[in-house]
Amino acid sequence: MKNGFADSIRRTFAIARNTVLEAIRNRAFLGMGIAAFGLVVSSIALSSLAVRDQAERVLVDFGLAATSLMEIVIAITMGVILVFKEIDRKTFYLVLPKPIRRSEVIAGKFVGLLGVLGASLLLMAAGWLISLQVKGISIPAGVPQALLLVWAQAALITSVAIFFSSFASPVLSGVFTFGVFMVGSSVTVLQELMQARKGMLATPGPARLIAEGAVAVFPDLSVFNVGKELILRIPVTWEYVGASMLYCGFYCLFFLAIGALVFQRRDFS
Amino acid sequence: MDEIIRVENLSKTFRTPFRRKRVDAVSNVSFVVRRGEIFGFLGPNGAGKTTTIKMLTGLIQPTAGTVSMLGGGPADLSVRARIGFLPEQPYFYDYLTPVELLDVFGRIFGIPARIRKERIESLLTQVGLFEARNRTLRKFSKGMLQRTGIAQALLNDPELVILDEPLSGLDPVGRKEVNDLIATLRQQGKTIFFSSHILADIERLCDRVVILDRGVTKAAGTLSELLTSDSGEREILAGGITDVSGLNGLDGVVRCETYGTDAVRIVCESAASDRLVGTLLRAGGTILGVNDRRISLEQLFVSRTIREKSCPATDNEGEVRGVSE
Repeated sequence: MKNGFADSIRRTFAIARNTVLEAIRNRAFLGMGIAAFGLVVSSIALSSLAVRDQAERVLVDFGLAATSLMEIVIAITMGVILVFKEIDRKTFYLVLPKPIRRSEVIAGKFVGLLGVLGASLLLMAAGWLISLQVKGISIPAGVPQALLLVWAQAALITSVAIFFSSFASPVLSGVFTFGVFMVGSSVTVLQELMQARKGMLATPGPARLIAEGAVAVFPDLSVFNVGKELILRIPVTWEYVGASMLYCGFYCLFFLAIGALVFQRRDFS
Repeated sequence: MDEIIRVENLSKTFRTPFRRKRVDAVSNVSFVVRRGEIFGFLGPNGAGKTTTIKMLTGLIQPTAGTVSMLGGGPADLSVRARIGFLPEQPYFYDYLTPVELLDVFGRIFGIPARIRKERIESLLTQVGLFEARNRTLRKFSKGMLQRTGIAQALLNDPELVILDEPLSGLDPVGRKEVNDLIATLRQQGKTIFFSSHILADIERLCDRVVILDRGVTKAAGTLSELLTSDSGEREILAGGITDVSGLNGLDGVVRCETYGTDAVRIVCESAASDRLVGTLLRAGGTILGVNDRRISLEQLFVSRTIREKSCPATDNEGEVRGVSE
């Protein structure tokens, strides 16, 4: 048997394919998808409450934010449940003795979830764009870039969720992953506070040390948020998207590599 | 005959979650499985059979000792590609149909699409699930799931098939079918490592066995070796003697009975058999046969496990019969 790169990709995609099938046939996920679509479409109702010239802003901002939030919810829930479920329900007992590396199983789960996130993103994006059309608002030029960045952010959070689920329970993994999301979303704020030299972060001490550590270690999720640019019709360049994707790829590899290492050493007793 | 599995001094110690107390699930287990044989792995519940099998299949890492299979270790992908494994009470992706499940595993094995399709159909027919091939596994009975498990264990046409309690959950017809399937696999030249506590099936199918209890090897060898050596008794068939009353009082005689019209059958301690043969010949009898008396596997199993449960754990080492070569 060849153990080359092509074999590894084949095995990874076998797991990924099964992960997508699982999501498609999971009623909870389908419910989540429908809820997400409904949430995005509900921005139409929300926009009618806005001041007349603010309707466009509400529709664009709320639509993108709702899409991004639902992608994060799906990433965290699916990411923490899928690996744990296989361990808890012992389905791994059939998979792991087969000629497949544990790192390929982790990678396969991740790739499968990327597919699931992509499909749900397309569904929500469709709802969002339909609502813009219904309200007669022209679609901003940077929508594809913005959606790609939303997907990248969800991918990064998925890798964090899979990392935690390789050793912790779903509840703990969910809490830890949400924590990473919250800190990651606040990295820019922390940087600004440190630069402003105001409050607790002004002087050297434990608080500043923690903030510096968080800024250094946690991914800065604000790079994936281009809602402001979309509203102000500022172009989002593909160079920026490419750099952000590389940034996302680096963190995904980092979290998945550690997750795979932990998973590799785990006993299935 | 070449070795397919060699297990040497395999041990696994777990630690309880909070008090970190040591639990020796498997201690210094050693055995060899040869090509083409059906090897029985026997033991009561909690004996360490499944833990040993998990170490063979790489699901858990041994604390000590080595496992060599098909010229490699459990982690080698090339070795795993030649092994079929059915875990105890297998759990499946219940949202899949058996065809989809086997397709996922076939992709992992790298079986080309056309061959995969043919093999899946053939295996589902072989295990009697072809009619149910498009039903999701969550609608399957326990017996049907067990058959699905057997089908996936044979998907890669393995050289070595490891079956952990393959007969559990099957009705008598299902058990017979699986027994027949195992016999067919042997005819195909496959090596079968088979754990069970259904003694009748082990006795009928297996060439050699290991009996495990509380993680320690209690007996190992061919069935004929174990079943004869363990009785410690011989049976003498002598002609020309009809009066058994005098024989019953002789030293070393366990029991004596008439056999036909002019013969007697004497069950005696093995050590006393030569002396008794001499006595019978001097009394004018003729020796028709002297054989080691066989006990049943059940008797062996009980004597090696249940009887020893009353003994202190520290006595276990003295009962180990060693590596079966």
